[in-house]
Amino acid sequence: MPAPEKNRFYEDVSLVLSRTSKASAVIGALLLLLVFYCWKVQVLDHRKYWALAEANRTRESVVLAPRGLITDRQDIILAENTASFKASIIRENCRDYERSLAEVGGLLEIAPDDLKARVAKYESQPLFRPIVVKDNLDLKDVSRIESRRLELPELIVETDPRRYYVFDQLAAHVIGYMQELSPQELKSEAYAGRNLGDMVGRTGMESQYESTLVGVDGQKTEVVDSQGRTRGEISRSEPTPGRDIKLTLDFDLQRKATGLLEGREGAIIVLNPRNGEVLALASFPTYDPNKFITRFSPQEWMELINREDHPLENRAIRGLYAPGSIFKLTMALGALEAGLITEQTSFFCAGAASFYGRPFHCWQRGGHGALSLTEAIRHSCNVYFYNVGRRMGIDRIADSARRLGLGDKTGIDLPGEKEGLVPTPEWSRSARKTDWYLGETISVAIGQGPLVVTPLQVALHTAIIANRGRRVAPHFLMASPLGQGQIPGTAGESTPAAKIRTEFFETVIRGMWKSANEEGTGRGARVEGFDVCGKTGSTQLIGRERAEKLGKQIKTHSWFSGFAPRDNPEVVVTVLVEFGGMGGATAAPLAKELFSLYREKYD
Amino acid sequence: MIDRRLIENIDWFLIGLLVLNSLLGVVVIYSASHYLPGHHYLRQLVFLGASLLALFLLLLVDYQLLMSFSFYLYGAVVFVLLMMLVFERFISKGSWIKLRYFQVQPSELAKIALILVLARLFAEYKRSHVSIPAVAMSSGLVALPFLLVALQPDLGTAVSFLPLLLGSLILAGLKKKAVIGILILSVLAGVAGWTFYLKDYQKQRLATVVFPGRDPQGAGYHILQSKIAIGSGGFLGKGFARGTQSQLKFLPARHTDFVFSVIGEEFGFLGVVDVLMLYYLFLWRLFRSAARSRDRAGIYITFMVGLMISFQLLVNVAMVIGIFPIVGIPLPLLSYGGSSLLANFLGVGLVLNVKMRRFANI
Repeated sequence: MPAPEKNRFYEDVSLVLSRTSKASAVIGALLLLLVFYCWKVQVLDHRKYWALAEANRTRESVVLAPRGLITDRQDIILAENTASFKASIIRENCRDYERSLAEVGGLLEIAPDDLKARVAKYESQPLFRPIVVKDNLDLKDVSRIESRRLELPELIVETDPRRYYVFDQLAAHVIGYMQELSPQELKSEAYAGRNLGDMVGRTGMESQYESTLVGVDGQKTEVVDSQGRTRGEISRSEPTPGRDIKLTLDFDLQRKATGLLEGREGAIIVLNPRNGEVLALASFPTYDPNKFITRFSPQEWMELINREDHPLENRAIRGLYAPGSIFKLTMALGALEAGLITEQTSFFCAGAASFYGRPFHCWQRGGHGALSLTEAIRHSCNVYFYNVGRRMGIDRIADSARRLGLGDKTGIDLPGEKEGLVPTPEWSRSARKTDWYLGETISVAIGQGPLVVTPLQVALHTAIIANRGRRVAPHFLMASPLGQGQIPGTAGESTPAAKIRTEFFETVIRGMWKSANEEGTGRGARVEGFDVCGKTGSTQLIGRERAEKLGKQIKTHSWFSGFAPRDNPEVVVTVLVEFGGMGGATAAPLAKELFSLYREKYD
Repeated sequence: MIDRRLIENIDWFLIGLLVLNSLLGVVVIYSASHYLPGHHYLRQLVFLGASLLALFLLLLVDYQLLMSFSFYLYGAVVFVLLMMLVFERFISKGSWIKLRYFQVQPSELAKIALILVLARLFAEYKRSHVSIPAVAMSSGLVALPFLLVALQPDLGTAVSFLPLLLGSLILAGLKKKAVIGILILSVLAGVAGWTFYLKDYQKQRLATVVFPGRDPQGAGYHILQSKIAIGSGGFLGKGFARGTQSQLKFLPARHTDFVFSVIGEEFGFLGVVDVLMLYYLFLWRLFRSAARSRDRAGIYITFMVGLMISFQLLVNVAMVIGIFPIVGIPLPLLSYGGSSLLANFLGVGLVLNVKMRRFANI
């Protein structure tokens, strides 16, 4: 094709064309600048942006380890884990913190002040940490939160294994309850590796065996999108579940014991005297440990701790009571061993006697007449033991009490046990700054005066008598071949009580048998064919004379403690009912119910 | 009728580069949106076919004829834009007119009308420097659709009308005084715009170009996420459809305005350079075509089309790598969107039209 010749259609456009090429050169230069900038961002600053992208897309979170189960001796589950939903707020994602709190509060029906107080507790935590604002969401709450995901990116729902106490308040004082770790605790050595919002056992088995029950939390790294939604997992280390523990508790006896105390204030302990296994331990009033898991509102908590009947107190190990007539067994054993009396020694009861210039009364106004030791135990005669007490003196009495399990911690595997008090003249001088009055010895002789013990000590005391002097360590953790941990104090080393001659125990036990089976004070506990041996106690809260002056009917604490059968004892039952009246009238019939249930079940 | 010589003179190489770039766009759009409902990449493929068809149809008509109708075309576009403002509630949503199966953005097509009308205006302009009345006339012609589009409000598209005006004035020959005058005017317009026109979010965007880290969840979010995407791509990139920023939706407008970030993240610096080189090859061929035009009008058309595409390319890339405020300007040929693709294809069609008719009287 020939080159086009210039004609009038082809004007001179060279000027315009040169402007074109200049402009396109400028564009090329600008494009080159952009390439250089890309080099800076992509190659020179690559590490920085790469790290930012990784942080963008990954989120580390904890996979909670399920806590070990707690079962009774027949593997009935008392404490387990269920899935629960909880709502948490991530402050980092709030657009307007105040408004967001108000909206979250409204959505989940939390009082604004409660919510504020709750979030304020964790002020010092990093902003990206979720703070739990409501537990135990129902499905309605969950769907309400999910539907507002986009408007409230700060509010998230998480699932958790949650502790669940299957039978609510049953054995609450044994199992204990759990609470969230406080921010201070989180900083301490003891809870290294625990996380915000973790629960920890505060009382009972949950606290005692915390290290067994608690597992090792796992961790997962998830990929999240820009809305914070999970898109998959990158890595995951599985949690190690906590180990289960099996308790010595017997579900039926425990339920019976709790039921018997319903509407009263008191404690019941059932244990096996041979090995110290606690079959039931009930304290009433009680509480529902599930409430602690679901995070109390402050009012609920204040109400619970300020209640006059103190439901959180475990009366069985922390309640201090005068043992009353139950102490007469200690007196008898101590005096027999010291050779101060024999089985045949008799004293005359005229309804009252005078010691150290002061009158002391028997509960039987008319008096019991002349009584031998076993008869004195059977009828629980005060005057008899006033005389024994005078012969023994306070030091021997105290020695006998300590040897028989009173006035010391029993060493049970339940935190918070109290010691009680077996008074001595030294104690009087150092603690009271007064001398011991001889008249007090007479009061102590029938289990009154400054003497106080816990119901568990009485149960152990009864077990020692039942064993004819062999002491056992009461405990809840079932021995198992797998080894759940060291069962405390089961070593059968020779204990001081073992030095007392068996025949003395037999004498006292004969009295106890008569008490229950031969129309004694403990007759209410008699179970046909089970040979219950026991002793009642009724502890005066104020002096009888004063009460009579006031014209008031005295309501005493009501005790019964006994074992059965007489030979080769299998079970010890101790009952204390506060303000229950006479031991024979209130406590003994409750014990009877437990003896019969035990017999039905195990014989 | 179409002469055989005309077909012989079609620049197939330019068409090849155009289609290649657009197909690359489809691939990246797939990566950026395959997990979303709507099959964006398939739709883009359909748009591509339709735009190519429109381009060939455009070749049938001599650009001289098109220019002679340009004022009617211009009038029609201005009328549509005006109607969109007046009856905004009924027919449109912002800059879009919603039709049954797709939506049209008339402001994109307004560019083609503007190119034709400006070319017509300057076709017979043979002085070495532009006169005041010519400046006033051409400015007025651009200002009208500019205002209408800016009021929609679609500042990005409105701003992309300006290089057309500037390009035609450059070709017509601006005196130094005039350049200074334009600079002063644009500063004044900037100040006035900042005070009266810009919405708060737009001001924030301008501010965050300087300090993107200041408010990472707010206005700086898009810039920061885009920079993270590009920067984390590194030299070789994370691989096709494996960019965490885009696949996990941290990146905003991934398949539209921020498609370049996806390229940066998934194909790395190497990919960025390759794409820009391919693009520059296309632009270079486009600008080179100016020398192949029969008349002054042809040069104007070619130059303005080249400028239109280059401007959008430069602004878009500068925007996603965080050195220019975020205005809604797509990456031409690569971003998802039918109207923008059609406008660019028609623009290239005009250039081809000029080029194939470079021999007179055919």
